[in-house]
Order: sequence, then structure tokens, then C-alpha cells
Amino acid sequence: MLVENKDELIKIFSKRIRQILSRMTIDFQEVQEIRLRVGAPLIMIYKNQEFYIDSQGQLTKDETRAYVVEQEELRETMEYMSSYSLYAFEEEMKQGFLTIQGGHRIGIAGKTILDESGIRTMRYISFMNVRLSHQIRGCSLPVMPYIYQGDQVLHTLIISPPRCGKTTLLRDMIRQISDGWDNHPGQTVGVVDERSEIGACYRGIPQNDLGIRTDVLDCCPKAKGMMMLIRTMSPRVVAVDEIGTREDLEAMEYVMNCGCKLLATVHGNSIDDLKQKPVIRRLVEERIFERYVILKGGGQVGTIDQIYDSRGTQLYRSSIQTMESIRRGTGSRMSDRAYG
Amino acid sequence: MDREGLQTLTKIAGACLVIISCSGLGIFASGQFSQRLKNLEQLRQMIFLLKGEIVYGRSPLTDAFERVGARGRGEIAEAFKRTGQRLSDQPGEPFFIIWQEEIDRIPEKFPLLEEDRQKLKDMGEHLGYLDTEQQERTILLYLEQLDLSIEYLRSHRQERVRLYTSLGIMSGLFLTIVLV
Repeated sequence: MLVENKDELIKIFSKRIRQILSRMTIDFQEVQEIRLRVGAPLIMIYKNQEFYIDSQGQLTKDETRAYVVEQEELRETMEYMSSYSLYAFEEEMKQGFLTIQGGHRIGIAGKTILDESGIRTMRYISFMNVRLSHQIRGCSLPVMPYIYQGDQVLHTLIISPPRCGKTTLLRDMIRQISDGWDNHPGQTVGVVDERSEIGACYRGIPQNDLGIRTDVLDCCPKAKGMMMLIRTMSPRVVAVDEIGTREDLEAMEYVMNCGCKLLATVHGNSIDDLKQKPVIRRLVEERIFERYVILKGGGQVGTIDQIYDSRGTQLYRSSIQTMESIRRGTGSRMSDRAYG
Repeated sequence: MDREGLQTLTKIAGACLVIISCSGLGIFASGQFSQRLKNLEQLRQMIFLLKGEIVYGRSPLTDAFERVGARGRGEIAEAFKRTGQRLSDQPGEPFFIIWQEEIDRIPEKFPLLEEDRQKLKDMGEHLGYLDTEQQERTILLYLEQLDLSIEYLRSHRQERVRLYTSLGIMSGLFLTIVLV
């Protein structure tokens, strides 16, 4: 987890909200989100539960006691979180998020300003979601035995519904491959982090631990980034998040034809879901990916549900292991089924 | 030496001191004038660097001010550095307030007129606001004003330097005549 310095984090908020948050005595490691909306209560997602925050910095379920956020406070907060320099985050604002020191991501919404090329910027930002960065070391350990063949990493696709931990899993897989896992030597990993979700780079430096042999291309379109990495950094493994476009497909084929291995994630519930998607369908039908890791939605974040090989043979099935249990150190290693 | 001779010697010594100090004042005034020009030229160079950091480097103000401050010299560079440092500490104050305070901390004896300081403060009013284009326009506007000041000082430097120096010497001589 990266919420090591509470004071650093609360500095991004307006003076009044800063005072409120500094009075809080809760464990900030367990805070997942802080939500600000103009004229609405200040909300915190803490230990998977939603609470209001009152003006004394106490968590409450009573809406009438909640501190109500004003427009000026959002404007002030935007100024501080962008280091007084909104212009420096123009590209990120077009995508609706900013990444700040510590790797925390701030989602923003308001009035979008359009021009011929699409969204130009955003004004009157009235909604803000501060998502605190959490990396769960070791959450990919159950998957690791399945994605290696000898010392070679296999082309792997992580399939998961939104908010089920696919990026967290991918991040840990990158770290394990990069540092070297079990007796497998570490390999050079190139990461194309289009939305700064994997490495959560702040001024080019990953705030999440991605391993010692990892190169990150931050805020770069996936398709272009994959080509660039191959040409410039000669990675053995390339990792990307949320593939889906035709350009991504072409770039992935290029990566695979260069002899690199690919780790990718995609939204979905099953392999059958992928067959409904025009672009991804081809990847499945041509058996390009050698492993499919499916995360389970609906339950706790990070439940590894099934692992398949390229022919659709199930290699593993479980619904017990969760990232939450791994993080707490209560999870058991996945050893109930032997590989293959 | 008799008393009269001593009196004459004292008068000559006093006259010399008056002339030297008045001339010194004149030279000091002309030096201040030249130094102000140098400072404005140095400031223009730093503002160009700032523009590069913001427009091409897309650096946030915190980084831009610290880097430009580190590359410059003197009181203005120090003010830039202090501003960058305070911004990165995120004290919860608007940028314009921090910028104004740091410009005010430049010592009064530093050769910059109140008018120069005010223009420099005004530039900060719109920095950080809106997009990169807006930053560029704000900086270019200030550079234009700075260029006008520099041009004025350059074109008047020779005559002003000569004027202050000769005024100093002349006033020394005049005082000597009046006193003696």
C-alpha cells in the first residue's frame, strides 16, 4: 500500500477539508476512496463501506451530520492537486483523471469543452473521486505457476469485470516476472501504461513497485507504445492494460511476431464473452493467447476464478483465494490442482 | 606650519572630501542605473527559460520555478527558487499570494524599481490559470513590457550615466564653492 504519508495525501485538498481529514484518527491504509461533489456530503469508502465525514473528522452513517462540500473547495482542491498548474495536466484531464504523488488517481467530472478533435478540456469540475493507490504484493502468486513454461512466460490474458482487481493482478505479475519468481530468472518487462494505472507514474517515476527490470512508457497510446518499446527497450515481456481496439490488435500481433511475450487485460466475464467482441474474438479463435486468467465478479475484489489454456482446457478453478486474504496474509497458496 | 596654513590645508582637504563623496554618489547612481538594466536583462532570460519549461516542457509551476531559479544567479533567482520550494510544500495558499510575498522579500536595496517589481508581481496573477496557451500569452505579455523597459534603459543609458556622474562632480564643486 502506498498511503504511507497521510500528511502528504491530505495536502492535495482545500484548507477546510485538510483540517477535517487531519483530525481523523482512522487507518488511512484502509481508505479506498474519498469523494467530493459540489453541494453534497463528503464521502469516504473505508474498509469497503461508505461513510460520511462530519466537520469534526468523524466517520458517520448519518447524512445530516455530514460535511457538505462547496464549489470553492473543489476549485481550490483542483489547484493544489495539480501543483497550481492545470495546464500541465491537459492530456490527463481530457481522459478525466490525474495521477498525483503516491500514485493516487483522481477522477474528475464536470463540463467538458469540445473542439474538432474531441474533448479539449474540462471546466467547472464539480465531482471528484480520489482513489487511493493500493498495491497488493503477492496477489499473483497463485497464477504464477500457470503462466510459465520452463523459463518462458506464456502469452496471458486476464479477463475480469470492472473493479475486480485485474490491474492489481497484472501489476503484481509484472513485478514477479521482472524480479524473478521462484527459480525463474528475472526478465525485462516493458509496460505501456496508457492511463497511468499500472505504474501510477508521477513525473515519470512509477509509484507502484513494478520490479527492477521494468521499463514504463507512461500516458502513451497502447498501440504506438508497444511498437516503441519493442524498437527501443528490447523487452522480453510486454504488458498492457485494457486492450480492445483494432490498433491494439495489430500492435499485439507485432509484439508476438517479434518473439516477445504479452500480458494483457480485458473487460469480460468469460472466454465466451470475448467471442462476442469483434476485435478480441480473433485472438481467441486463432489461439494467440496461451493462458486465460479469469477473475470473478460480484464477490470480494481479486478472486481468481479460473485459468484456461489456449484450447480452452480448464487448468484451475477456485473461488476461495482473494487478494484481500493474500494482503492480510491469511490466504493459502493455490496448490489444490497441479499445473497442466 | 602656522595657523593660517593649517586652516587652508583643512579647507582643501574638506573640499576634496566633498568633491570625492559627491562624485561617488553620482557614480553610484549611474551604477545603480546600469545594474537595473543588467537585472532586467537577466530577468528576461529567466522568464524565457520559464516559458520554455511551461510551454514546451509542460512542467508544473513548482518544477518550473525551482529549475529556472537553480539556473539563474542573484536575488531574482533566489526568489524563483523560494517560490518553487513553497509551492511544492503546498501550504494551502493561492499561487499569486506566494509569488507576491516572494517578490516582496527581494531586498529593497536591490536595483529594481517599484514599477519593475509590480510588473513582475502582476505576471503571477494569471500564471497557472487555464491552459498552456494562456500561460504562453501571460508570459509573452510580460516579456513585451520587459522589452520596452530594457529598450528605454538601453537608449538612455549613456546620457543617464554621464548625467549622474557629471551631476555628482558638479554638485561637489558647487558645494565646495558655497562652503569655502
